[in-house]
Amino acid sequence: MQLDLDIRATLRSGKRSFELQVQCTSNSQRIAVYGPSGAGKSMTLKAIAGLFTPDAGHIRLNGRTLFDSGAGINLAPQQRNVAYLFQDYALFPHLTVRQNVGFGLARGWFNPRARERLEKVEHWLDAFHLQELAHQYPDELSGGQRQRVALARALVSDPAALLLDEPFAALDPALRVKMRLELSQWQERLGVPIILITHDPEDARILGEHVLTLRDGQIDKQQETLHEVKIG
Amino acid sequence: MRLTSLARLLGTALLATAASSAMAGEVVVSAAASLTNAFKDAAQGYEAQYPGSKVSLNFAASGVLLQQIVKGAPVDVFASADQETMDTAQKEGLVLPADRQNFVSNSLVLIVPSDSKLAIKNLNDLTQNSVTRVAIANPASVPVGRYSEGALKKANLWDGVQAKAISTQNVRQSLDYVARGEVDAGFVYGTDAAIMKDKVKVVYEVPLEAPVLYPIATIKGSANAFEAKRFVSYLQTAPAQAILAKYGFKKP
Amino acid sequence: MDIAWTALALSLKVAAWATALNLLLGIGTGYLLARTRFPGRDLLDAILTLPMVMPPTVLGYYLLVLLGRRGSIGIWLQEHFGINLIFTWQGAVIAATIVAFPLVFKPARAAFEAVDGQLEQAARVLGISEVAIFFRVTLPLAWRGILAGVLLGFVRALGEFGATLMVAGSIPGKTQTLSVAVYEAVQAGQDEVANTLVLITSVVCIVVLLSAGKLAPGRVVHK
Repeated sequence: MQLDLDIRATLRSGKRSFELQVQCTSNSQRIAVYGPSGAGKSMTLKAIAGLFTPDAGHIRLNGRTLFDSGAGINLAPQQRNVAYLFQDYALFPHLTVRQNVGFGLARGWFNPRARERLEKVEHWLDAFHLQELAHQYPDELSGGQRQRVALARALVSDPAALLLDEPFAALDPALRVKMRLELSQWQERLGVPIILITHDPEDARILGEHVLTLRDGQIDKQQETLHEVKIG
Repeated sequence: MRLTSLARLLGTALLATAASSAMAGEVVVSAAASLTNAFKDAAQGYEAQYPGSKVSLNFAASGVLLQQIVKGAPVDVFASADQETMDTAQKEGLVLPADRQNFVSNSLVLIVPSDSKLAIKNLNDLTQNSVTRVAIANPASVPVGRYSEGALKKANLWDGVQAKAISTQNVRQSLDYVARGEVDAGFVYGTDAAIMKDKVKVVYEVPLEAPVLYPIATIKGSANAFEAKRFVSYLQTAPAQAILAKYGFKKP
Repeated sequence: MDIAWTALALSLKVAAWATALNLLLGIGTGYLLARTRFPGRDLLDAILTLPMVMPPTVLGYYLLVLLGRRGSIGIWLQEHFGINLIFTWQGAVIAATIVAFPLVFKPARAAFEAVDGQLEQAARVLGISEVAIFFRVTLPLAWRGILAGVLLGFVRALGEFGATLMVAGSIPGKTQTLSVAVYEAVQAGQDEVANTLVLITSVVCIVVLLSAGKLAPGRVVHK
C-alpha cells in the first residue's frame, strides 16, 4: 500500500478551536496512528474514508487521488474502495449476520435476502468462524463475535485498505490480547493493508509496522518509528 | 397546606360567579341567523332603556337553536324564521301557545354575485348549464332551505336544481358564498340581501304560498321569565320597530 | 342507514388520500429536517407544525380565501387546469392533509433522528448509494415511528370538520364526511342517525389508535 497524506483542518466549537495538520507518506502494509484521545486520530482516519472533509490538502492511496483540495477532487466514501471498522462496529441491527456480511455486495435498493447464499459471503463467514451464527442478529452476539462480523463485512468487498478505529477499545483486556494477535495473523495471511488508530501502545507495537504518534492534531516526528513486526 | 388555600380560593371564585349571574337581569335570546344585525341593534336599545339589564344573543339556523333548547339549553326567548320550527317547539312542550306571537315578516329572494355575467332572471334560469352551483340552506334544519325547496318543488324544478345545490348550514353562509362568488346563485331573505348590497344583487323575489312569518316566544319555565316577557314587549315599541324596518323586516 | 354508509365511505376515501399524501410529504420533510442543517431550520419546523395548533376554522378560512374563485391559487387552478377545489372531495382532501400533516411529519422527523447516523456512514463506505441507504438502512429502522405518526394522521384526517366544512361544504355523497353528517343530524334533531354515525366513527378511531399503540417506538425487534 502506498499512502500519501497531507491534510489540514480547523474545527471550531464555541470559543475553542482545534487545528489538525497531519502529513504521512508510507509504503507500509501496517500503519498505526497512536496518540491520546482528542489528538485527531479519528478525524484523520475518517478523512481517508471520506467521512470527513479536510479544509485543504491531499490524500492519495496506491497512486489514486481520493482527495485534493487544490484540484477540487473529493471522492465520496462510496467510491474510495476502503473499508472502515467503527469502534462499536456499526452492524445493521435489523439484518442477520449473513445479511450484514453480504451488505456491500448488493448494490441495489434491496438488502440481501436472509435465505440467500453467495459464495463470497460464505467464504468470509467461514474464514471468521461465523457459520454457526450466520442466521442470528447483532444484538444476540458477544463483543468479539460482533467484531468478527464487522471484519468479514468490511473485507468482502476487497478493499484497498482496511481502516480500523480503535478496534479493541470495546473489549476487556484478556479478549483484547487474544484479538490483537488474531488480527495480526489475519492481516498477514490475507495481505490486506491496514491503517489503525489507537490510544493503546500495545496495539501500535503489535499491529503497527509504521507507527505515527499524533498529539494535539500534529505528528510528533521524533516518535515516528518503522520497525519489523514479529509474529509470535 | 397549599392545597386547602387553593381550594378555598376556587370555592370563593365559583360562588362569586354563580351569585353574579343570578343577580344580573340577564336574558338569553336565541334568534334565527337572519335576525343577527337587527337583534344586535335592538338588544343595545333594550339595554339602554333598562340599565342593568343584559341581553345574551345566540344566532344560528332556527333548527339548530331548537335542538339546543330541546336538549336543555337555558334559553329565555326564541325567535325562529318559520312557523314549523316554533310548532315543533310547542309540540315538545317548550313553548305555551299563549306566549307565542308573530312579530315580523320577510321575503325570499334569489341572489347572484354582483359581478355575475350569467343571465339569471327567475327560477327556471337555474336549470341552465351555465349555472353550476346554487346555495340552498339545508332544509332539514334551516327554514330558508325549506322555503326554497317548497318554491322549487312547486315549480317542478327541485330535481334539476338540487343536483347543483351547495347545502349550507344557515342563511348567512349562503349569503357569504354568493358574496364570494363561490356559487352562481343562492336563496336568502330579502333582509340578508340588503346587508350585502354591494356584493350581491337580487334578481328575483320568489313568490310563496304562505308568507314568511317569524314567530317569537318566551320559553316555558325559563329562569328569567320577567326579563323575557319584557324583551319581547320591547320589540313592539317604536324604536325597536324602527330598527327592524331599517333592516327590511316588514310587519307581520 | 344510507347516509351513514355513504358518509363513512367518503370519510375513508378522503382520509386515505390525505394520509397517502402526508406519507410522502411527512417522510420527505421529516428526513430533510432530520438530516440537514441550515439556518432557519427550527423556524421551518415551527411553521410546518402550525396546522396542529391553528383552529381548524381559521385554517378553513385561509383555504377558502386562497382556493376560492377569487383567490390567488384558485384563479391559477381555474386558468391552467379548469378546476375548482371548493365544494369538492379533493378540496376536502387538501383540508384534511394540511390539518393532519404535523401529526405525520413530527414523528417521522423524530424517527429519522433516532437512527444512528454511523450506520448510514458504514453503508456509505461499503459503497451503497444515498438512495439505497435510505431504503435499506434508514427507513427500515425508522418505519415504526413513522407508521405510528401516519396512523395518528389518518385518524385526524378522518375526524376533520372545521376546515372541511368551510372548504368542501356538506354535499351528501360528495363532501359530507362522517363528522359533518353528525353535525347536521344533530342540528336537524335526527338523533338515531347521529347515534349511528358517532358509533361508527368511535369504533374506527379506537381500532386505529390501538394499532398505533402497538407500533410505539421501542427497541428494534426482529422477526
